[in-house]
Amino acid sequence: MVNLNQYPPKNGRNYYLALGLEGSANKLGVGIVKHPLLPKHADSDLSHHCEMEILSNVRDTYVTPPGEGFLPRDTARHHRNWAVRLVRLALKEAGISDPSELDTICFTKGPGMGAPLHSVVVMARTLSVMWDVPLVGVNHCVGHIEMGREITKAENPVVLYVSGGNTQVIAYSENCYRIFGETLDIAIGNCLDRFARTLRIPNEPSPGYNIEQLAYKCKNKDCLVELPYTVKGMDLSMSGILGYVDSLAKDLFNKNTKNKLLFDSQTGQQLVTVEDLCYSLQENLFAMLVEITERAMAHVNSNQVLIVGGVGCNVRLQEMMASMCRDRSNGQVHATDERFCIDNGVMIAQAGLLQFRMGNTINDLAETVVTQKFRTDEVYVAWRE
Amino acid sequence: MKSVRGSDLPYVLYLEIPFETAAQANTAVKVLSPDPILKPQDFHVRYVADGSKLCVDFESVDDRVLRVGVSSIIESIKTVVETIDEFS
Repeated sequence: MVNLNQYPPKNGRNYYLALGLEGSANKLGVGIVKHPLLPKHADSDLSHHCEMEILSNVRDTYVTPPGEGFLPRDTARHHRNWAVRLVRLALKEAGISDPSELDTICFTKGPGMGAPLHSVVVMARTLSVMWDVPLVGVNHCVGHIEMGREITKAENPVVLYVSGGNTQVIAYSENCYRIFGETLDIAIGNCLDRFARTLRIPNEPSPGYNIEQLAYKCKNKDCLVELPYTVKGMDLSMSGILGYVDSLAKDLFNKNTKNKLLFDSQTGQQLVTVEDLCYSLQENLFAMLVEITERAMAHVNSNQVLIVGGVGCNVRLQEMMASMCRDRSNGQVHATDERFCIDNGVMIAQAGLLQFRMGNTINDLAETVVTQKFRTDEVYVAWRE
Repeated sequence: MKSVRGSDLPYVLYLEIPFETAAQANTAVKVLSPDPILKPQDFHVRYVADGSKLCVDFESVDDRVLRVGVSSIIESIKTVVETIDEFS
């Protein structure tokens, strides 16, 4: 059994307050959460049932023009420009007038882009020293998982973590989130984002969302454009698929009628549209994800799937996962909406507060150095049985 | 300006950033010190608080490395100053 109450809240209060700061990619998020101090958490395995209350959840996204990705330097500058303002806004929304009331300040330690991570941690350290509030360094992936568990109340799900920088199938075992399968090259979100760049569609609100909307408009859903399908055991590979679909899109734009897949060899009539390509790409990639997730469920004897990460708000992915789960006995899919799927400060606060309640805080600022590489299975999950 | 470490890195820069109080300058030193330098053989930096002043010593193998290193640290100092300014 786990005791989440061993470190009581500040000033004899009956609740905990945590500030979460996230900035590992192009989203800057600040969130404040509250956990009530409840007797049931003293001796149980209820880390997915903290009765968390979200006091504020603000976010600002660095959006680049169509056809361009976000570069570390520019993203870091965006975060520096907005960080202090977002913290001010989050505190105001949460109604916290004295920030030294906070029990902990949680920041993303990694993985992510170095410069943006660093720009946020500099502010986190300053706040910690000024307000005399201890820091907690959070693994970004664990943040997603704990947020998903708390929101959906899924106790022990197989986790599919799909975002712009990560693609992993994860299952919990013995105080560790173990990686069952992952991408061997690029992440699924990266694959979709880069295809969106080739298509020169807007990055607002997110490139993946715009691909999803184009895919809905596909009129030819019975006739998929054939793409490479690369599942290797429990792992995936997506760079080949991206290269191939990119070349198809370029042939389409250049009206290269020699390409028999895209143009009728006799009449030169166009057979495939951009919408068809988006649809086929999504179906192909998501089918790969569903396959390895199902295999992981069979391995660990679980009937729940939790989808987290930015790509997790894709409704088509949720549908495909749900149909796989329906075919298994009592399968359930848990997913959240864009407020929690896409990177945010609340998830960092939630995972960080769990760490804080288990006494895992930073005593020396030398331990706050951020890192671009920080695997999900390196974290000791003290808050679960 | 004399070289603080007695090392043989020839390109040096010395900055003094005034804060309102000694406590704020100390905060800045604490916040900036933890980050490791990627190429310690090419670039050194040292932070000290002198009263309410933050003093920063840079040393580098060439002017290009010095310029890049200094500008990135100035960006961090700006964040510290803005944070202190907004929340104190």
